[in-house]
Amino acid sequence: MESIIARKEIQDSIEKIREADILVGIPSYNNAGTIGHVVRAVQTGLAKYFPDMKSVLVNSDGGSNDGTMEVVQNTAVDDFQSILFTHRVSPFFKIATPYHGIPGKGSAFRTIFEIARALGSKACAVLDSDLRSITPEWIELLIKPVIESDFDYVAPLYHRHKYDGTITNSIVYPLTRALYGKRIRQPIGGDFGFSGRLAEFFLSKDVWETDVARYGIDIWMTTTAVANNFKVCQSFLGAKIHDPKDPGADLSAMLFQVVGSTFDLMEAYAEAWKTVEGSQDIPAFGFQYAVGLDPVSVNLERMIDKFSLGIRELSDMWSTFIPQDIIRFLQNTEDLRKSEFHIPDEIWVDIIYSFALAAHEKVLNKEHLLKSLTPLYIGKVASFVTENWECSADEVEEKINRLCITFEKKKKLLIERWS
Amino acid sequence: MNSFLERVIMEPFDRFIERLLEFLPDIMTAILVLAAGIVLGFILKSLFLRFFHAIKIDRLSERSGAIEMMKRGGVKEPVSAILARMIGWVTVFGFLILSLRSLNIPAVEQILERFILYLPNVFVAGVIVFFGYFLSNFLGRAALIAAVNAGFKVSGLIGRLVKLTIFFLALTMALEQLGVGKETIIIAFAIVFGGVIFSLSLAFGLGGRDIAKEFLEKKMKGDDRKDDINHL
Repeated sequence: MESIIARKEIQDSIEKIREADILVGIPSYNNAGTIGHVVRAVQTGLAKYFPDMKSVLVNSDGGSNDGTMEVVQNTAVDDFQSILFTHRVSPFFKIATPYHGIPGKGSAFRTIFEIARALGSKACAVLDSDLRSITPEWIELLIKPVIESDFDYVAPLYHRHKYDGTITNSIVYPLTRALYGKRIRQPIGGDFGFSGRLAEFFLSKDVWETDVARYGIDIWMTTTAVANNFKVCQSFLGAKIHDPKDPGADLSAMLFQVVGSTFDLMEAYAEAWKTVEGSQDIPAFGFQYAVGLDPVSVNLERMIDKFSLGIRELSDMWSTFIPQDIIRFLQNTEDLRKSEFHIPDEIWVDIIYSFALAAHEKVLNKEHLLKSLTPLYIGKVASFVTENWECSADEVEEKINRLCITFEKKKKLLIERWS
Repeated sequence: MNSFLERVIMEPFDRFIERLLEFLPDIMTAILVLAAGIVLGFILKSLFLRFFHAIKIDRLSERSGAIEMMKRGGVKEPVSAILARMIGWVTVFGFLILSLRSLNIPAVEQILERFILYLPNVFVAGVIVFFGYFLSNFLGRAALIAAVNAGFKVSGLIGRLVKLTIFFLALTMALEQLGVGKETIIIAFAIVFGGVIFSLSLAFGLGGRDIAKEFLEKKMKGDDRKDDINHL
C-alpha cells in the first residue's frame, strides 16, 4: 500500500508544520454531525493542558460524503476566554485527509501513525469521531501519562451501561487478561493514548492488509503494546456516550474481525502468553466518579430464539471441535424457560477456548468458524442479561471479574491442548 | 478317409498350433509386462506410503477439511493410504494397457485407442465432481451460517438447498464432459432448477402472502423490537 506521506498535499502540510510534540488523530466516516464537538474538545484540551506544546490534529477520513472533512477544517474554538484563563502559546495545526487502503478504522490509524512519525511526535492520542461525552479532560488523561510518566500506552477506562460492550465483557477483556496477565478493562475501547516510539513500532508491523485494518485495530494495538512489554496504564474518562452504531447490523462480521484478530494475536504471541500465570492490575489515572447512563433496551426473547436456532442447525459442525458434554449442555438449554436461561462461566470459557484451539488447528475455514460463534455469543449475552437484571453496576463488575478468574484458571488446559 | 481326416482335423490343428506358437511370445510378453507392472505398483505404493507419512499428509488433509469430507462419505482410511494405493493401481493399470497392446490384436488395439482417447474426459469429470463436492460443502455451510445469524427459521433448508444446487450443477457439468445424455441433462437441470425457484417464488408469494408482507414490512420499516446493546 502506498504511504500516505508520499502524497503531495500531506508532504506540504508536514513541511509546513515540520514537527509536533503532540498529535491527536480522529478517524472518521460520515460523522459530520458529531466530529465538530470532538474537534472543539481536542482543541480546548490541548490549549488548556498543553499550552506550550506544538500540537496537530489529524482527521483520517474514509471518504465521507457528508462534509466531515470540511467540518473538521472549519471548526474552531472562537472564544477561548470563556473556557480558559490563559491563552495558548504554541500554534495548533489541523490536517484532514482521506486515507488509502482497506476501508476501516485500522487503515485510518495507519495514516495517523505515519504522520506522527513524520512529525516526530512524542505523544499521540486517537479518539472516535462519534463521541458525545468527550471533554477537554480526555486529552489530558490520555496524553499526560505519556509525557510526564513515560508510559507508552494509555488505555481508556469508562463507566458504561451494564449491558454495553458485551464483546469486551464476555470475550476480549477476560481472554486478554488471562493470556497476557494485565487487567486492561477496555482493551478495545477506541480512545487511546500512546508514545511516538510505540507508533513507530506499530508501523514496523506488516498487518495492514489483514483484519487489523478494520475492527481488529483496537485489540491489535493493546495486545502489541502488552505482549512487547511496553509500559501500559489506563485512564478513567467518565462515561462513553456516542452515536448509536447500526444496531447489530453485522454483528457476525464485527465478531469475526475482533475475535479473529484476538486469535491471530494468540498465534503471533504464543510464547509470550504461555508463560504468564494469573493477572495483575495496571496503574490507573483519573478521578473515578459515578455517572448517569441512558437505559439500554434488550429483546431477550429474540436473543434466545437466535441462540436456539444456532443450537439446532450448527451443533453438528461445532461437535467437531467442542467437547460433547458442552454440546449436550447447550442442547439442553433449549428446554429452559426465559427466566431460567443461563450459560455458566465454565461452559463459556470452554467454548471460547475450543474456538481458539479450532482456529489454531485450522479445523474449519476461519470465517465460517468465527461467524458460527455468533449464536453462542448471543446466548451468552442473553444469559448475562438474565443474571444481571436486578444487579447494580458494581455487582455486574464483580461477576465479570469472576468470569475473568475462570478464564485464568482454565488457561492451563488451553496451553496443554495448544501444542 | 485319411486325407479327409487330415484336411478337416489335422490341418486346422496344425495351423492353430502354428498360430499359437507365433502368438505365444506376445502372450508371454504381455504376462511379463503385467507382472512387472504389479510388482512396480506394489513397490511404488510402499514407497509413496512412506513418503506421504514423512511429509505428514494425513495431518495436512485433516486441517484442510478433506478428512471431514471423506468421513461423511463413509471413507475411514487415512489419505496417505488411499493416495498410495491409487498410485499403485494407476501403475498396474498403465502396465495392463501396455501388456494388452503388446498382444498385437487389431480389435483390442482399436478398443484401447478409443478408451485412451476417452480417459481425459473421465479425468476432467472426476476433477469437476471432486471440486464441486468441496465447493458445495463450503458454500452450503457459508449459507447455513449466514442464514442462522440472520435468524431465518429455515436456515437448514437454505444451507442444504445451496449445497445440493451446487453439487447438482457440478454433476451436470461432469456428465456433460463425459458426453452422457448431454442435452437431456442440461434440459433436466434447467427444468428442475427453474421449477424449484418457480415453486418457491409461488409458495412464498401465494401461500406465504402474509409472511411475505410481514417480512417485507419488517425489512422496510425495521424491527421496532431491536436491541440497543453496543457490542464493542
